[in-house]
Amino acid sequence: MKKIQILGTGCAKCMKLAENAQKAAKEAGFEAEVEKVTDIKKIMEFGVMMTPGLAIDGEVKAVGKVLSVEEIKKLL
Amino acid sequence: MSEQRNVCCSGDAKTLVLACSGGSNVGQIANNVMIELDKKGAGNAYCLAGIGAALSGFVESAKAAKTVVIDGCPVGCGKKAFEKYGIEASQYFIVTELGIEKAHDFSNLDRESEMAFGAIASSI
Repeated sequence: MKKIQILGTGCAKCMKLAENAQKAAKEAGFEAEVEKVTDIKKIMEFGVMMTPGLAIDGEVKAVGKVLSVEEIKKLL
Repeated sequence: MSEQRNVCCSGDAKTLVLACSGGSNVGQIANNVMIELDKKGAGNAYCLAGIGAALSGFVESAKAAKTVVIDGCPVGCGKKAFEKYGIEASQYFIVTELGIEKAHDFSNLDRESEMAFGAIASSI
């Protein structure tokens, strides 16, 4: 199972990224757990300075942008 | 210089300031200038070591942000760390090019840091 983490304190862009990640995992046929990381201290531990960020299995893949479903599928 | 603070999903790219922070007077001057730029709101001090260590969050943040890289000397460790990931700094400075000679002498850091800060801050 893949672990997808959405790094952001919960604004509209973070929510959209989480939604896109759920769709991407479903369409790509991956079992995935999508976790929203909203604690700013935890976000900073990733070294991420701009949100939203997206991490897959602990690896940060994108920062400061809302990736599309297709873009996320390519990263899975 | 414009005010930069943590804002969730801010529409504007943040400015990150990275210094080589190396083991000479000019490395430490670079570090002092980074701290002053952060204090003055010109950008957020950020960890070049995180990029050197290939930590994904640091690398991706540097790719997404506007970046100011300050190296102490022409060895250019900061610039080279960026180049490993194909990142080009938005602005790049080398302290020795500001008329400060590299030495393992830390006795004039305050005065030399002030001089370097003046030169760099006026270019940002």
